[in-house]
Amino acid sequence: MNRLQDCFLCAAAALSLAWVSPLAAQNLDNSQLLHPVPDTWPTYHGDYSGRRHSRLTQITPGNVGNLSLAWAFQTHLPAEIKSSPLLVDGVLYFTVPDNVWAVDARNGQPIWHYTRQSVGEHIGHRGVAMYEGWLYFTTPDSHLICLNAKTGKPRWDSVIADTSKGYWSTMSPLVVRNHVIVGVGGDLDNVPGLLKSFDPETGEAQWEWFSTPPTGTPNGTTGGMTWITGTYDPELNLVYWGTGNPTPVLNGKSRPGDDAYTCSIVAINPDTGKMAWGFVVSPHDTHDWDAVEVPVLVDGEFKGKPRKMLIQASRNGYFFVLDRTDGKSLLTVPYGPVNWSKGIDEQGRPIPNPDKEPAPDGRIVAPSEGGVTNYRSPSVDEKQGLFIVDASPSWSIYFTKPADGAYGWAGADYDLWDKGVIEAIDYRTGKIRWSHELGGVSGAGVMTTDSGLTFTGDGNGNLLVLDTANGKTLWHTGLGAPMLSSPITYELDGRQYVLTGSGDVLFAWALPEGAVAAQHATAKAH
Amino acid sequence: MKKAQLLHFAVTVLAIATGSILCSFLRSPVHAAALGAAVQAGGAQDEGAASYAEHCAICHGDHREGNLPAFPPLTGIEHQMSEAQIADIIQKGKDRMPGFPEIKDPELAMLLHFVSTPDASQRAAAGSGGNAEVEAGAAIFKQNCSFCHGRDAQGGETGPDLTQSKLVLADKTGDAIAAVVREGRPAKKMPPFKFSDTELHGLIAFIRDRVALAEAHPGGRRGVDVADLQTGNAEAGKAYFNGAGGCARCHSPTGDLSGIASRLEGLKLEEQMLYPWEAKRSVTVTEASGKKVTGTLIYEDEFSVALREADGTHRSWFKNRVRYKIDAPVEAHVELFPKYTDDDIHNLMAYLQTLR
Repeated sequence: MNRLQDCFLCAAAALSLAWVSPLAAQNLDNSQLLHPVPDTWPTYHGDYSGRRHSRLTQITPGNVGNLSLAWAFQTHLPAEIKSSPLLVDGVLYFTVPDNVWAVDARNGQPIWHYTRQSVGEHIGHRGVAMYEGWLYFTTPDSHLICLNAKTGKPRWDSVIADTSKGYWSTMSPLVVRNHVIVGVGGDLDNVPGLLKSFDPETGEAQWEWFSTPPTGTPNGTTGGMTWITGTYDPELNLVYWGTGNPTPVLNGKSRPGDDAYTCSIVAINPDTGKMAWGFVVSPHDTHDWDAVEVPVLVDGEFKGKPRKMLIQASRNGYFFVLDRTDGKSLLTVPYGPVNWSKGIDEQGRPIPNPDKEPAPDGRIVAPSEGGVTNYRSPSVDEKQGLFIVDASPSWSIYFTKPADGAYGWAGADYDLWDKGVIEAIDYRTGKIRWSHELGGVSGAGVMTTDSGLTFTGDGNGNLLVLDTANGKTLWHTGLGAPMLSSPITYELDGRQYVLTGSGDVLFAWALPEGAVAAQHATAKAH
Repeated sequence: MKKAQLLHFAVTVLAIATGSILCSFLRSPVHAAALGAAVQAGGAQDEGAASYAEHCAICHGDHREGNLPAFPPLTGIEHQMSEAQIADIIQKGKDRMPGFPEIKDPELAMLLHFVSTPDASQRAAAGSGGNAEVEAGAAIFKQNCSFCHGRDAQGGETGPDLTQSKLVLADKTGDAIAAVVREGRPAKKMPPFKFSDTELHGLIAFIRDRVALAEAHPGGRRGVDVADLQTGNAEAGKAYFNGAGGCARCHSPTGDLSGIASRLEGLKLEEQMLYPWEAKRSVTVTEASGKKVTGTLIYEDEFSVALREADGTHRSWFKNRVRYKIDAPVEAHVELFPKYTDDDIHNLMAYLQTLR
């Protein structure tokens, strides 16, 4: 018998076993999106609120010292993992640009791999979205691909925006009922940002919303890219989304005024695409401070009144709390060094200081272009009243001169200095309750759990587990590459897993099986 | 094949296979007769494509994308192997890949031509006309570099203008550019990239093409010229240096800064002035025994600290086992950031430029 036949027999034997015990449904219905259960992580943020907080409590401050590696999955590709995996029916779905994997969440073994080469910007990819048995994948050439979740086979391929005009797409779509809502990137060109909703079954466009007037509108701005997944309030039936910087980026002369709705938080009706309200976070931005950071939804008391809050730690260095019913400001305070504003106006918006716009001989500006935070997700622990964000206090110099023109970047800026710090902000007051210094800047997002744990990473490749109450490190391990994504967690077969990506490896962490079994036995005895 | 590989192969086949794939694998000899007709109908590329679909696509994917970890992608294989090497592997197999001795010329030649030709999407990315190497480099640059360095390599988000880069302009062989691409610049947040030699050559050809273009069209270029940084007052800068700025506490115009303007100019001088990011820090570690070790700080995180001693020895400690003190006078620059006015900076620049 030759080797090949050997392999066929093994595979055939294994297949026959698979037929005896068929796989689970690989299906996601609307109620699971509204009320995720512990053995799923069905959306980019884990749920519609963007809090990236889990009710799971198996891993605690007391036992996290025993955390160990359950499995690791290697993509063997040069691209770094920047996505949040989805978990549905025991299968994880995650991405790098041009690539989607389905991986068995119990053992890290690959189930299928979809790849589609494309032109366009390959800066990163945040993950897929799911509706019933279908996955939705955005591409560097700004297409939306629908894949069969069981096989990874494409079902339809729709264009989000014209890549030849300068659009690309990296984000994980937001599914609301029968709307697959996607955004785009693209500030190398003067083009308007947009949100577009697709029919999950047919791939036909349902509506389009543009951040700005069309290119060429006199005194109009372009830009306002929509490259981080928004959040959703089912009661108000509003989707909340952050928009990016205006273009031209560093030269604001051709676009006087606030440049709405760039650098803004907008509330959109998912059925119609109509905007209910918009709040400009950085009026007339000239520093590339996209306001795309996760608009986190929290309900609770604020200054003695029950409020439906929307909270954003924005790239421009300010921490915003809005009333998400009408977009009115409740609180605006800096959470890192800022020297570009002349204060806060009566609407709660920072007032840009014209002296800090980029200039031919340079202006020193805080924060730097990367901002006090960026794409990495924050997390909210409502029990402790904390909004926890991976921050980067920073300074830089900004230049622009007539020769730089009024297209695309239109200037130059140079980072001088920065550092990384995890900040726990009391979101009712804006006061920083604790800070955890990281040394260099980290690209890791934050996830908290009900047991009082905060999972994140530093810029040296350490995975950190902090005590949410005080920021002290409870456990860490070095992974050889910094985390550039945000952790997720789920429970399978009674065992809680935490997933983190570093470099081209996805790591699954859990307590040792023996410890989990002992915990279950104790619980049963009680 | 080792047992572990065999098992891995079997598991992977299970993982990706459906009944129909397995069946199509087993019935492939039956297909051979039908293939003849298809080969007659198309050109060499179509015939190669048909042969690929017949024999190779099952493992290496419909578009040569592979199915990792078991089956490597074949896109770009022409950069890694000669046609003779590829032909040898097709006929004899390699590792877990079975040999296909039944594929003979002319089918073999057409298959070789097909797998060695960049696929349609890559060709589209490269555009049409002009130098093929520059075009290949343009496609790689657009996908991987343009976000930071700008689509035309003249600077963008975070990344500097490469057409004015001293390293680029001085690098006649391409080795220096290649080294930066392969190793990245972690301190400047540039990640390392894994490109083949051929891809790197294309990338370097593209960057040089942009340098030539930028030199041919002066005036429209982004970036900061020496002339841009001449708005300050040297006398006011000197007063700030000796007074409010506190610069004179560490620096001297006749000592460390003597001739600084002859060594650095323009933006490089200003960046060095505001924060010299390559400045060395020293550290002294006191071990539990009381023994002290001093050296250059190499690494520090929350948990450990490492130094290089004067003789080159690398040493590290867990922070909770020792006492340590880092001496980093450069941090005085950080304290100045919130205190500077823009005029202070421009005046200081004017003063430093007198130190020739």
